[in-house]
Amino acid sequence: MKRRYTIIIFTENNFGLLNRITIIFSRRRINIESLAVSETERKGISRYTVVIEYEEEKITKLIQQIRKIIGVLVVFHNEDDQVYYGQIAYYKVETRSAQEREKIMEIAYRHQAKVAFSAEDYIVIEKTGKEDEIHTMLHLLQPFNVWEFVKSGRIAVVKNQADFKKYAKNLEPEGWYSDEEFYELKLHQPFTNGN
Amino acid sequence: MALIKDQAEQQIKEVVLDESARKPHKKAQPGTPVKGSEAVILSLLAEDVDTIFGYPGGAIMPIYDALYDFQDQINHILVRHEQGATHAAEGYAQMAKKPGVCFATSGPGATNLVTGIADAMLDSVPIVCVTGQVGEQFLGTDAFQETDVMSLAMPITKWCYQVADPDEIPLIMAKAFYIARSGRPGPVLVDITKCAQQAKMSKPFYYEKRRQIKGYKPASVPREKDIVKAAALIDEAEKPFMFIGHGILISEAQQELLAFAEKTDIPVASTLLGLSAFPSDHPLYVGMLGMHGNYAPNMLTNEADVIIAVGMRFDDRVTGNLSRYAKQAKIIHIDIDHAELGKVVQPEVGILADAKEALEALTSHVATNKHPKWRAEFDRLHEQEVEKVIKKDFTSYGEPIKMGTVMKMLSEKTGGNAVIVSDVGQHQMMSARYSRFNRTDSWLTSGGLGTMGYALPASLGAKVGAPDREVVAVIGDGCFQMTIQELGTIAQSKLPVKLILLNNNFLGMVRQWQQLFHEKRYSFVELQNPDFITIAKGFGVPGHVCDSFETLDESLNTLLQSEGSYLLEVKVEKEANVFPMVPSGMGVDQIRLE
Repeated sequence: MKRRYTIIIFTENNFGLLNRITIIFSRRRINIESLAVSETERKGISRYTVVIEYEEEKITKLIQQIRKIIGVLVVFHNEDDQVYYGQIAYYKVETRSAQEREKIMEIAYRHQAKVAFSAEDYIVIEKTGKEDEIHTMLHLLQPFNVWEFVKSGRIAVVKNQADFKKYAKNLEPEGWYSDEEFYELKLHQPFTNGN
Repeated sequence: MALIKDQAEQQIKEVVLDESARKPHKKAQPGTPVKGSEAVILSLLAEDVDTIFGYPGGAIMPIYDALYDFQDQINHILVRHEQGATHAAEGYAQMAKKPGVCFATSGPGATNLVTGIADAMLDSVPIVCVTGQVGEQFLGTDAFQETDVMSLAMPITKWCYQVADPDEIPLIMAKAFYIARSGRPGPVLVDITKCAQQAKMSKPFYYEKRRQIKGYKPASVPREKDIVKAAALIDEAEKPFMFIGHGILISEAQQELLAFAEKTDIPVASTLLGLSAFPSDHPLYVGMLGMHGNYAPNMLTNEADVIIAVGMRFDDRVTGNLSRYAKQAKIIHIDIDHAELGKVVQPEVGILADAKEALEALTSHVATNKHPKWRAEFDRLHEQEVEKVIKKDFTSYGEPIKMGTVMKMLSEKTGGNAVIVSDVGQHQMMSARYSRFNRTDSWLTSGGLGTMGYALPASLGAKVGAPDREVVAVIGDGCFQMTIQELGTIAQSKLPVKLILLNNNFLGMVRQWQQLFHEKRYSFVELQNPDFITIAKGFGVPGHVCDSFETLDESLNTLLQSEGSYLLEVKVEKEANVFPMVPSGMGVDQIRLE
């Protein structure tokens, strides 16, 4: 059965690694629903958040293939309830009158969004949240003529800190897995038992 | 006499040295910074590289210029096509037990490497490819001979890297060699821009061999608890069965394998790439697994209660239909690559370790055992194969020559001690089936990728990697024409490689499938072949045709006794089929004997 997975990957910040990682997905005809990449607080280390829908019985094999890539430091997958996650979205909405502008702003505030930018004939609403919240907002704004809409890929933090710490050990400058940790991480998916 | 010969050689050497002495030397003075191009060569020397297989061109010219000054320290073999360089490097790597090195230029030079790199990837062969790239300022401008080599190489290399700064060269080369040879070996590619080759390093050349890389930790010793669990399964098993693969040869675990098998009395079957890791004439050896493997090991895969698989990856050509594969068996899978454990079949015990270490540990944990009843089942089934298949694979007087006969006679003549390098197709399966291996590391072929044209260049590389071994390439008429130009390399480099061309004027394996599964609709499988002997002679390789069984024995003698390289073309039966066969989509127990 297919399930949604948030895959978190830490890598060295090298040319081509993004390409190498996406090849793993495209070769298996897996559609990437969303992808976010940026440098972490540690210089030279990037963090990827990849969202896919994939068969439950095949996900570990996929993770193992990513784990094999040289330059990939840490990989693990999570189901939605194991992470706190969100996206950011911008809505550029036409404002034909002050009254309309007021109405739009009211919707925004009611949904914990804010006005990020304001021009003569439009405003930009900024909203963070889960996918459904972002879509609800879009739905509500549509009557006002949304000129432009964009949302980022999902980013996520892991809820179970003990497990995360176990993984993140490999990210420290001098961090190195012990043999036992190495086997556990290579052979199993500790996060599935965690939480 | 010998003295005179030595003196003569000495004189020739001096003449050659004089010749090159007239050209200016460009080597940097010790202690001064070197150019990127020289750094590449110095890095190779630091890795004890003695041979490069390559082909020069525009973007790699600075490296070739640097190489000019190091001809006394590194042997460069000029191939005729870059694909030949990769296969030669594969053959070399497997025989010399260290990474093979290829040089190629940018653009077409690099794209020609692709097939060989993919081959090395699937068969876990360590090769290091160095490609020249256009100058950094030309990247992305569709410059002359510019291709995005990194993107091409990414899915087919274990690791690849583009260097644009000469200072990076020693570091990257060290990383390349370490990655290629460690863990599960594989191909790596280092693409170096022309600017980085030409520019001087900002600091003196310093090289340190790499021993570890962050996030990359090749497995070595197994976990005690896994070994204990596996040993318990093995001790309780009534019908234990062992599968061995290429991993045994890579980790050089032949002695440990022998000790384990003999202590436990477990029958041993090999994959195509594991051949020669276990002596063919050992009483415990039961043959080859897979589509055209032996009858008994395929049938009994579905009878065994415990399967111990070492250094093999349950390729689809081994397993056939997975839903009918070894469902009754508890599987112990030993592999150095964590991604292989559970990839195809779910093991009861997955052991992430080097084969040598794992077998050593297992041997000390298992009890001495005997399995006479179980082993007798293999003998019983083997007799059926002898009756229905093997007897028919050998020629009787008056019949056309059969491939099986050639391979059997060759094995007898070489005492199973030669290195057999096989190409891809019917002749490959026949070589695998009828070569007897008395010595380890005696079998090279393209298994995973099934690359036609592999054998000729691989055999020349193998000869360079193991000059003391007799190397015999077995090639089909289709395969031969894919890399035939490497005859030039063999002649120029004076490599005494023995070539057997098994000519049936067909793309035999495809024809067999068309006969069996496509109602004999022979769609483009018949070849109008050239006069191969004349072609070989044109290249400077002597040879002759053997077209009757009566002259085969003598022909093989001529081939093996020839001092230099020699081509023996054997006209074999045109429409012969390879059996047994597990038809595509069928289970291993549905193997056909006819």
